[in-house]
Amino acid sequence: MRKRLLEFLFPAEPDTWLSILRLGLGLQVTLYSSSLQNDWNYLLSGTGTGLISRDLAESLLSVESHFVPRLGWLVALGAHVGLREEAVLSVAWFCLLAAGGGLLLGLACRSSAILAWFLHLCAAKSGGFLSYGVDNFMTIGLFYLMLSPLPDRYSLDWRLRAYRSKDPQFFGFWRRVLQLHLCLIYFFSGLTKCLGSGWWDGSNLWRALIRPPFNIIPPEILVRWNYFLPVLGISICLIETGYPVFIWLKKTRMVWLICIFGMHIAIGFTMGMYLFALVMIILNAAAFGPGLASRQAESTCGQRTEMAIR
Amino acid sequence: MRQKRVCLAWFVLHFLLIITFSCRETLWLIAQGPTIFPPSFKRFSQRAERSVSAALGQRLAASNPVRQALATYLHITGIESGYGYFAPNVPGSYKLVFELHYPDGRVEYELPRVNRAAAGLRLAGLLDQIGRTKYDALREILVKMLAQSLWREHPDVKTIRAVFGSIRLPSVSEFEHGKRESYEFLYAYDFSLRDGPGEPENP
Repeated sequence: MRKRLLEFLFPAEPDTWLSILRLGLGLQVTLYSSSLQNDWNYLLSGTGTGLISRDLAESLLSVESHFVPRLGWLVALGAHVGLREEAVLSVAWFCLLAAGGGLLLGLACRSSAILAWFLHLCAAKSGGFLSYGVDNFMTIGLFYLMLSPLPDRYSLDWRLRAYRSKDPQFFGFWRRVLQLHLCLIYFFSGLTKCLGSGWWDGSNLWRALIRPPFNIIPPEILVRWNYFLPVLGISICLIETGYPVFIWLKKTRMVWLICIFGMHIAIGFTMGMYLFALVMIILNAAAFGPGLASRQAESTCGQRTEMAIR
Repeated sequence: MRQKRVCLAWFVLHFLLIITFSCRETLWLIAQGPTIFPPSFKRFSQRAERSVSAALGQRLAASNPVRQALATYLHITGIESGYGYFAPNVPGSYKLVFELHYPDGRVEYELPRVNRAAAGLRLAGLLDQIGRTKYDALREILVKMLAQSLWREHPDVKTIRAVFGSIRLPSVSEFEHGKRESYEFLYAYDFSLRDGPGEPENP
């Protein structure tokens, strides 16, 4: 039993999944910082020049813990060397963008991953009232990325530096961690949706799509398709709740992954949550994407052999 | 082998936390209701949620080192909240309108705004938090901060009245019968530069 558990948790895997995660999160961090370029200082200012004071969110965070990273630390550090808050925030934004670029290129992978995780976490926690789901998933992805055995073979570091991670079992371990975490995310997300009657009759899907600011599709168009809403609502519940089972089965993995990608693409386009959709697609693609084509071929081949024997 | 053992120990603790916090959130959602479960489940869920919270050290004093260490770990790993997005039901949203009163008697209406759509989603999340908070003082502080941000853009304004309301969404059949989204008044606050905190007005 112990041996089987260890074999499951530490399978020898190539680093393809890590390349997808690094590239994907590099793109995500770059787009995240670019999308907030014009609002960054306005959203995260603490001196009464922004939308709401960062100090309030940080004070509330301190009630939970004094040790969670926050932009206030950087601002205080900047004040020691004579930098104004605005300048510190701009430098933080630029460093986050550079970390995203570093991840995309695979240059100083580990440092870039740590910097991206730290600065994004600072921004997410200091802007606590302005955070939403995408921030949680970016933190999760970046946390696993910075602990994973970087650099991967497609990075510039791999070509330029002598140090390389060699133990394929640790590539396998961190992939398993991501895979199992995604299973829990979808299972609990699906389970909690199943508890609401509105997901069974389609009314929750209707409300989600007409609710400002997600009301991208005019309700006049949506209402014409209202017969499909219960089917879609139930499908979402089943896809999410069934994810921890069907994503592991060879025969259903491809179908489930396509359904999950379809669901997130639809969320992105119909609700305007592009960054949320992208991070979920990246995490899924890294966790379950690599080896899918070969496993699918293996599965089909197995079926044919079985039929031939019969 | 030693490295594997460390990884294994971390894995067990990490996933135990994820599962326990997700279970706690699920129980909390059932306790808040409404769900497909009968109302009698609410009391059970409340008790179970309290027990799970206690087991996780959430009933310890805020300054307790164990609670602080756990909170720090949960935040830095991104697992401090559950995954019940839009569950069990999709809530309505909120709207904040500012009435800007000028010294000459003129009145203008403004909404809180940001530059890009990505920040707009965050602003909507902020309004949801203002609407859902149980703490009146926190709600007032947040609305006041938003009013202050507007004041900087309109320095000649004499007073600002902030009207906070919820958006009531029509059902499919209501929409088909011509009903559209409507606003329900929740709170109003009057702010002036010299008066300090605004005076809330409840429905």
